[in-house]
Amino acid sequence: MKGLLLKDWYMTKKYCKYYLFVGVSFIILSLMSKGNMFFVFYPCLLCGMIPVNLLGYDERSRWTEYVGTLPYTKTQIVSAKYLIGLFAQIAMLTVTCIAQGVKMGIDGAFVMTEFLVLMMLLLIMATVTSSLTLPFIFKLGVEKGRAAYYVMIGVVCAGSIIASNLLSSKVQAEINLNGILPIICLVGIGTYALSWYLSIVFYKKREI
Amino acid sequence: MNALEIKNLTKSYPGFTLDNLNLTLPSGCIMGLIGENGAGKSTTIKLILNMLHKDSGTIRILGKDNTENIELAKEDIGVVLDEVGFPECLTVKQVGKVMKHTFRNWNEAEYVRLLQKLSLPDNKPFKDFSRGMKMKLGIAVAMSHGAKLLLLDEPTSGLDPVVRDEVVEMFYDFTRDENHSILISSHIVSDLERLCDYIAFLHKGKLLICEEKDKLLSEYGIIHCSVEQLSELDKNAVKYKKETPYGAEVIVSRKNAPDGFKLSPVSIEELFVFMVKEAK
Repeated sequence: MKGLLLKDWYMTKKYCKYYLFVGVSFIILSLMSKGNMFFVFYPCLLCGMIPVNLLGYDERSRWTEYVGTLPYTKTQIVSAKYLIGLFAQIAMLTVTCIAQGVKMGIDGAFVMTEFLVLMMLLLIMATVTSSLTLPFIFKLGVEKGRAAYYVMIGVVCAGSIIASNLLSSKVQAEINLNGILPIICLVGIGTYALSWYLSIVFYKKREI
Repeated sequence: MNALEIKNLTKSYPGFTLDNLNLTLPSGCIMGLIGENGAGKSTTIKLILNMLHKDSGTIRILGKDNTENIELAKEDIGVVLDEVGFPECLTVKQVGKVMKHTFRNWNEAEYVRLLQKLSLPDNKPFKDFSRGMKMKLGIAVAMSHGAKLLLLDEPTSGLDPVVRDEVVEMFYDFTRDENHSILISSHIVSDLERLCDYIAFLHKGKLLICEEKDKLLSEYGIIHCSVEQLSELDKNAVKYKKETPYGAEVIVSRKNAPDGFKLSPVSIEELFVFMVKEAK
């Protein structure tokens, strides 16, 4: 699978390099803004788009067909996309978390519970787009899968507004967020794992 | 051992059926798959690689069923599809690095040698390649990992005659090793006529014939005669015929060829065209 990851890395460097610029810009904006969670979440959302975009380029260049002639299992082909997405998401998540932690510290508002909740929410934001979109793409192809993706973006944006409201009330956070923290964590990881599994199942059935 | 054994292979789509295909490619041989667009050539190659799910039949590659551990079998298969599908941003060098981590037996020195032989630039992105250059890169990759079987779908299309000649020579050299075999589809029948040991004609998903090329060429001859003379021919001798207001062309079995007619050698292309027209 190293070959697949290397190929995706070359493509990410070429086609997604501006994500880094946009991501860093949004992180800086999030540090300057007060309580606007969109700037916090968007860089992670952006990274969730990387595997989706790569699949679009794969289909256009007919790599989707060609890779079927190479000695890779369909599980490996699907997993490479999840892994490349995961690497990017973890990298962006780490940078965002460090930035937000520093900001909370400077503002004198660092509360560990709140910080952990933020991390978990970021994790979900980072994985949710690919979690919800990739199974559609591996089943239906990029065009139809993308339509599903835009629907998901709407859902995620609505989710970020709700999350923003949750975090804005400190009292609510103390009462509710402690309780939902493990659930958030489980939902994020579980959705990603289920999505990965479903994509493999769908892709195995699909004729290239 | 046979490099490829296809038995009773059937695959149906709406409007097309690859119908009960039987092919055997012995090791060390080259088989040419000839057919018009949509005849089922690419479908056959994809079925061999298990990229499509067959409805029925069996396929054995290098002695093993293609549904069992096909990924391992693909280590020994070099493939060139009609559209070479490398990512557009990758350079030849990067393609080499990706393939080095893909095939266990990747031979970097052979890859570099083929790139030089085929005059492919190192650092140009794939999207800037002409169709011929893309095809050449596909061929270089297919021949750089110690494959025992090459599956080539229209590999010479888009190549100029000089390069085509070079590539055909490369394929020919490849099968000098008796463990190496090639299944090649092409519209350019003259290439196949020059290269192949076996010829298979596919028409609308049906196999019209699969025979040794030399046997085909020695079995049939062509007679050019007038329409009146046509009626004098023994009907059992006539395999395929074409009548025009200016005369008739008749492909006959040489052993039943009538006396008094000039029998010319038939080409594979003529034979294919006659058979397809007859099948219509």
